[in-house]
Amino acid sequence: MGLSSFSNLLLAVVTLQGPGTRLTYRVRVIEPAAVAPRILASGAVSGPLDNEMRLTLRTDTAEVEALFHLTPFGDTVSLGADFFTRRRAGRSRRGLPLWEEDTYRRLVRIAWSDTARIYPFGDSRRGGLWVELILERQFAGGEGRAGEQFDLADSTRDLRIEAVVRPRRARVILNLVRGDTVSGPRPIDLVLEEPPRVIQLVLMGRATTLVVSVTRPDPSRSSRDRALGLDADVLCLRVAPPDAPEPFGSICGRLNNVARQLALPTGDTLAATFAWPGAR
Amino acid sequence: MAGPDVSHQQWLVQIDAELDGELSLMERAALAKHLVTCAHCAGARASQLEVRVALARSAGNPHAFVVPRPSIRAGTLMVWVIAALAIGALGGWLADRRWGGPGSGAPLEETRGTIVVQ
Repeated sequence: MGLSSFSNLLLAVVTLQGPGTRLTYRVRVIEPAAVAPRILASGAVSGPLDNEMRLTLRTDTAEVEALFHLTPFGDTVSLGADFFTRRRAGRSRRGLPLWEEDTYRRLVRIAWSDTARIYPFGDSRRGGLWVELILERQFAGGEGRAGEQFDLADSTRDLRIEAVVRPRRARVILNLVRGDTVSGPRPIDLVLEEPPRVIQLVLMGRATTLVVSVTRPDPSRSSRDRALGLDADVLCLRVAPPDAPEPFGSICGRLNNVARQLALPTGDTLAATFAWPGAR
Repeated sequence: MAGPDVSHQQWLVQIDAELDGELSLMERAALAKHLVTCAHCAGARASQLEVRVALARSAGNPHAFVVPRPSIRAGTLMVWVIAALAIGALGGWLADRRWGGPGSGAPLEETRGTIVVQ
């Protein structure tokens, strides 16, 4: 790598990867019409710089899902998209619909001020609908949480955009359950890849010490789930005794405030509720 | 061949062969001798002759001596069979290319999403 390339990379890392930068995907879904193109939907997804955007378009004969992500590089940005497409291919001999599935990736280099036009159903010369995407970056002002805003002008269309954020930390609320008795909630903020934390839960006068840490789950077996980042907000809580290397087990779940349970060898049950951490 | 023990059915076959000109003189003589004594066979022969006259007339040749039988040579038959099989195979291949299997016939890359920078 040359010196200027290295400088560019360093500049990109310093100016864009800093905690103060917020990324916004501004989206308009447009359909060609006789007089002027018609805007079917518009919206924006914003969040930290590693924020990704999932776009879903469905018609009677096709479904297009795409996960957009970017890598800043100086004044330009590499916009990548993993597409997962299903197209109606006909009917089987028994009259059931047949679909063909396709997974592929697109990558373009654009400047921050550029507009990328995405033709989700293929060939731009055929005149199908397109999606206009503009990338913006601004000072975050300490706001780190992802946000979505979407206006659907034509409610008959099935269009959706979602923010996809892979959490770096999680708030986990732990309870110990024995029969009808539940210990007081023990909230704890855990950071991925950090050393395990020792916690103590007291139930009916008996203290239980556990060593906990959060990890990402194994990659999904489904190529669609992997491509579209459907398990992006899933984390696993590894639970181990303090004095043995072998863990009791893991509890995996989305950051959606639903309690997951793990049976402990002591006869108690550990309930863990995963949630997004509070703003810092 | 045409002895006194020849059955009635065989005489009818002989009549058929005689009208096709396929009998030797000796066989024709034996048949003529039998026809003198067998009114049934004589009637059958007359009936066969009338049928052949009708066939020759419908074929546009009422003065024909015999009714020509359609004959297909083995070589010709083989050529036609091979040609039919080849045409069928070619037609099937073309139909498979054009309409074969479910789904659009458009090239895959044309149906995939694209990103254009403006």
